[in-house]
Amino acid sequence: MTIHQITLTINGGYEQVDVPANMTLLQMLRDKLSLTGTKNGCNAGECGACTVLLDGEPINSCMILAVECAGADIVTVEGLAHDGVLDPVQQTIIEHGAVQCGFCTPGILISARGLLDRNPNPSEDEIREALVGNLCRCTGYLRIIDAVKDAASRQQALLT
Amino acid sequence: MTINAHPELPAFDYIRPASLMEASRFLAQHTGDARPLLGGTDIFVRMRDGIWHDHYLVDVKRLDGSGELYFDPTAGLTIGAGVNMNRVVASPDVQQHYPLLAEACRSVASYQLRTRATIAGNICNASPAGDTIGACLVLEATLMVHGIDGFRQVPLSGFFLGPGKTVLQPGDIVTTIHFPPPPKSHAGMYIKLGRNQKSDLSIVGVTVYGFPDSKAASGYRFRIALASVAPVPLVVTAAEDYLAGNAIQPTAFKGAARLAQEACNPIDDVRGSARYRKAMVQRLTEKALAITWDQMTKRE
Amino acid sequence: MATRARTEKATHPVGDSVPRIDAEEKVNGSALFADDFQFGPGMLYARIKRSAYPHALIKRVDTSKARALPGVKAVVTGDDTPGFIGLYLQDRHIFCRDRARYVGDPIAGVAAINEEIAEQAVDLIEVEYEPLPGVFDPEYGASPEAPLLHPELSKYEVVNFIFPEPDSNISNHFRIRKGDVEAAWAQCAAIVERKYRIPHVQHVPIEPHVAVAKVEESGKVTLWASSQSPFAQRNLIAKALGKSQSDIQVVAPFVGGGFGSKAGVSMEALAVVIAMKVKGRPVKLRLTREEEFFTTFVRQGVVTHFKMGCDKDGRLIAMENKFFWDGGAYTEYGVNMTRAAGYSSSGPYFVPNIKTDSYCVYTNHPVSGPMRGFGMPEMHAGLEQCIDELAYAIAMDPVQFRKINCIKTGETLVTGMTMHPTGLSECLTKAAEAIAWGRKDPPSAPNKRRGKGIALMWKAPAMPPNAGSSAKVDLNEDGTVTVSVGGQDIGQGTFTVAAQMAAAALGVPMDWVRVNTPLNTDYSPYEWQTVASRLTWSMGNAVVAAARDARQQILEMVAKAWDEDPEYLDIIDGKVISYKSEESISLKNIVVYGMSLPNDQGWIGGPVLGRGNFMPTYVTGLDPETGQGPRAVVHYTTGAQAVEVEVDMDTGKVEVLRGVAAFDVGKAINPDMVRAQMEGGFVQGISTALFEGLQLKEGFLQNSSFVDYRIATSSDAPLAIHTIIVEVPQDDGPWGARGIGEHAMVPTIPAIANAIYDAIGIRVGSPPFSSERVFLVMQDAGLVD
Repeated sequence: MTIHQITLTINGGYEQVDVPANMTLLQMLRDKLSLTGTKNGCNAGECGACTVLLDGEPINSCMILAVECAGADIVTVEGLAHDGVLDPVQQTIIEHGAVQCGFCTPGILISARGLLDRNPNPSEDEIREALVGNLCRCTGYLRIIDAVKDAASRQQALLT
Repeated sequence: MTINAHPELPAFDYIRPASLMEASRFLAQHTGDARPLLGGTDIFVRMRDGIWHDHYLVDVKRLDGSGELYFDPTAGLTIGAGVNMNRVVASPDVQQHYPLLAEACRSVASYQLRTRATIAGNICNASPAGDTIGACLVLEATLMVHGIDGFRQVPLSGFFLGPGKTVLQPGDIVTTIHFPPPPKSHAGMYIKLGRNQKSDLSIVGVTVYGFPDSKAASGYRFRIALASVAPVPLVVTAAEDYLAGNAIQPTAFKGAARLAQEACNPIDDVRGSARYRKAMVQRLTEKALAITWDQMTKRE
Repeated sequence: MATRARTEKATHPVGDSVPRIDAEEKVNGSALFADDFQFGPGMLYARIKRSAYPHALIKRVDTSKARALPGVKAVVTGDDTPGFIGLYLQDRHIFCRDRARYVGDPIAGVAAINEEIAEQAVDLIEVEYEPLPGVFDPEYGASPEAPLLHPELSKYEVVNFIFPEPDSNISNHFRIRKGDVEAAWAQCAAIVERKYRIPHVQHVPIEPHVAVAKVEESGKVTLWASSQSPFAQRNLIAKALGKSQSDIQVVAPFVGGGFGSKAGVSMEALAVVIAMKVKGRPVKLRLTREEEFFTTFVRQGVVTHFKMGCDKDGRLIAMENKFFWDGGAYTEYGVNMTRAAGYSSSGPYFVPNIKTDSYCVYTNHPVSGPMRGFGMPEMHAGLEQCIDELAYAIAMDPVQFRKINCIKTGETLVTGMTMHPTGLSECLTKAAEAIAWGRKDPPSAPNKRRGKGIALMWKAPAMPPNAGSSAKVDLNEDGTVTVSVGGQDIGQGTFTVAAQMAAAALGVPMDWVRVNTPLNTDYSPYEWQTVASRLTWSMGNAVVAAARDARQQILEMVAKAWDEDPEYLDIIDGKVISYKSEESISLKNIVVYGMSLPNDQGWIGGPVLGRGNFMPTYVTGLDPETGQGPRAVVHYTTGAQAVEVEVDMDTGKVEVLRGVAAFDVGKAINPDMVRAQMEGGFVQGISTALFEGLQLKEGFLQNSSFVDYRIATSSDAPLAIHTIIVEVPQDDGPWGARGIGEHAMVPTIPAIANAIYDAIGIRVGSPPFSSERVFLVMQDAGLVD
């Protein structure tokens, strides 16, 4: 099986990685780069625990080959905060008590970040729809939805 | 096998052909051992489940035309095979001229999966549950296919032979999907009945499309396609003909819905029983027809 | 900074909704779960050969081809695991020996240099089976016609409160015989008799099980696992392997959801046994999601028969219950659910005459284990629908009926125990008020019907009578406090409340307190298990005892140094103060270095180390024939849930519009986290009510993936969940606290069923209330055509 050498940007940093053809982006992040914040919950594109941003768009990293990501710009949960300052979605999810076991949290944060990047003022329905691919078994989702709403209004406030 | 799912993908080679002809030739040469790769949402699941064991995945997302999405009022809509469903949903042209297609795409899985999933992949996977297939059928899509003998056009009707089976031959790659310009005052909807509120596979899916047509005796033409109730995505020509030939009134929708129910042939499976599916086909077809009619007559 | 008045009390973190202390690492990706630990290139990967049959003799296992595959470092079979393992009943070998009892039963294990080779090796293992007839229904399994799945049942070691029936598939038979049920029926104005079949469900933690084991040449074992129960795992694995508990170290980092699936021992022992063959190398076993669905623990299915009657004034007179629990292949844990349901089988009601037979039955289904509620959701699912029906049978409002009958302080319970102070009536009243009981709002569309339903619940921590907790409190040089516990945080907030309670009991600010993580049985103090919603109460008592122990040491030291009576000293805000002399001194330094005597005459004190434990001492046994005894359980948490639903008449789809939850938690140590449990449990309850069920056909699971085992998504959560905290203190709980974690999902299924009845006038009975289920029930009743 061929090994491919790829270069890509991860959390703002340039990376060069050797990946076998059948290695997923998720495996590459966790096993080659020790970025274990992104989680494996089902390896089938159903649970969303592996969600990362690829060129700004949320994607299940278990459903894309690493080799397909050559030249891409990846953001994982480790890359959401900047200079030690939490992203609004991270801040609000804490404040709303919307973190319990924390396993779904990285994927939720990425999906929320992606949503607010493309839709800065989402309705509750739009938030629920954007998160439908992120399964959570602990929180019951309501606080997560509130947290995303709150993050949206905080971002709006920062702009005005 | 007791356990089907493997922890990871089996070994394979990733091929990135430089041209469509290179891709078609490679696929033809490795028939049964090579597969075109678009979004991978079906391929990776089946490979991890041990159903497909191809040694070559041939990435066809970045070949000529596969990334394009454009609309021309006289020519219609062209969507490249590599265009992901989110792009289709977000396209202003699609929203304005083919809202049914956007609605169908939007019903698929989740936002993350739609960043990968493609309409072409949905079509080629040929699952009777394919959410976007009904819309493509009623919108009269044609596929541009590149094979070892070059390009040819394939209408979507007649494309499906059985679950997972299509008319495509070894070496064939779908490059673009083309939709004719929409008729005036068209309307349509896709009712997807899943177990959850959103994101499930359909237990039953009903796609309805309608537009005024002076060539029809009733003055209107409806197209009806059903998902998950037959071995293939099912176009209910009997119901379509009935509505074309009879004056449009609420009883006509009831009649058409009954024909849809008679035409479908669902099975009992983990998702639902045949009895329930038949009942839902009737009710949801009637509902979709009524709503579509309502929207259509408002636009006339 | 303003100077505090000396008499001002420090902010009491108990009762404050402080943010959870592990939130930041969970949101920035640095929180480590078991699969995140890096073990280096020497790590091996394990895969398991699993039974292809639900019931079969294992005639031959040939591992020769697997062993010969390059990259394979170890292969183990049942030959390597002669010992029995189990929590309450030792009925299981770590790897099957002479027979397999469910599809997925581990027959052999392989360790290899990567997962792919391990898998290939598993495929090369040849197993010769002799299939045997299977048992797939618990009533059949309990009958004399059924083949015996555990012929040696009477020889298994079992705790003295579990009663297997020899030469049967009944691994526990719990009885209640109270009053005279036969005579009582004659007094009833209305009687309801119903049968329910509650399907198996699975916990579906988003993090699948994972375990890494390493065995040194000396035989010392280290096990890293996603675990709710490091000490129980240490204990059970040690006993099964004939090792000392002190030779096994279990490290339990963050857990990505447990709900009971990661309690006891399920797959962890497999990794240890394999690792014993490759001394010095870590062996990782991680389950795929498919394996997660049926090869760890599942919540057992059950067939419940209820018969209950009331008099014309709505007073419950009699109940007769028969529960056939589908315990699965091994019921080492499941036997206790049978018992717990038995001793709570009246539901949260006063019933003077009650007869219950609760049977745990072996079947060739996946292994039953603890799942949130431990038998209570399954039991209440039917019981609370019957209560509703009885109310309607005498034309009484269901809330009123429950008001009359719900258990009240001082009443005698089904086991003869006396009910401690409880706020159940208050929960009922407040829940009914919050859902606007009695007011019917118009549906949102012409094809929808709206309805409201209510259900009560109760549950006691189900555990051995002597389940214990312990805690340590270390003081550091700068006055900060390190709390060590053995209780795991599985999302419910254990570490946060431990810190709150330690801060309050010691007298320091909350942000001075750290909790030692990850749990490590070599260093953490003993905790029986993180189950049963027992930690806030039991571990909390231990934490408080440890903090008070430290406090006492500090006060005695300072009292001596100041020549004062410790009675007049206190610790407030991290300072020791004297109410008498108004002296004060910071905790800094003195808690490690002691205090010097005046005139340099020496030193007193020393490093302060507080220790405490808690174990209930008052739980008594119950008569095996009648289930009667002075004190069956430590206490009950009670509560109520109400829902408003809409039913789509075209499709049968049920939508939960909003929910109300009211629970008596005694004292909410962290009110916001208590509410978070109520919300999360509610949605998990909705999910099991509307979507969930393991579809087992002749022992084979048909829906072993997220594609066809559906759980609630963000689109299924109701618009709002209103949570109500009721606080009637528990006499021996820290600040009066008792648990909430499991209770939050117990009454949801019947609340929804009762609401569906209110909406469409049909009793839907057994869950899941899928759209198909509801539609066909309506169609059969002629409500829709």
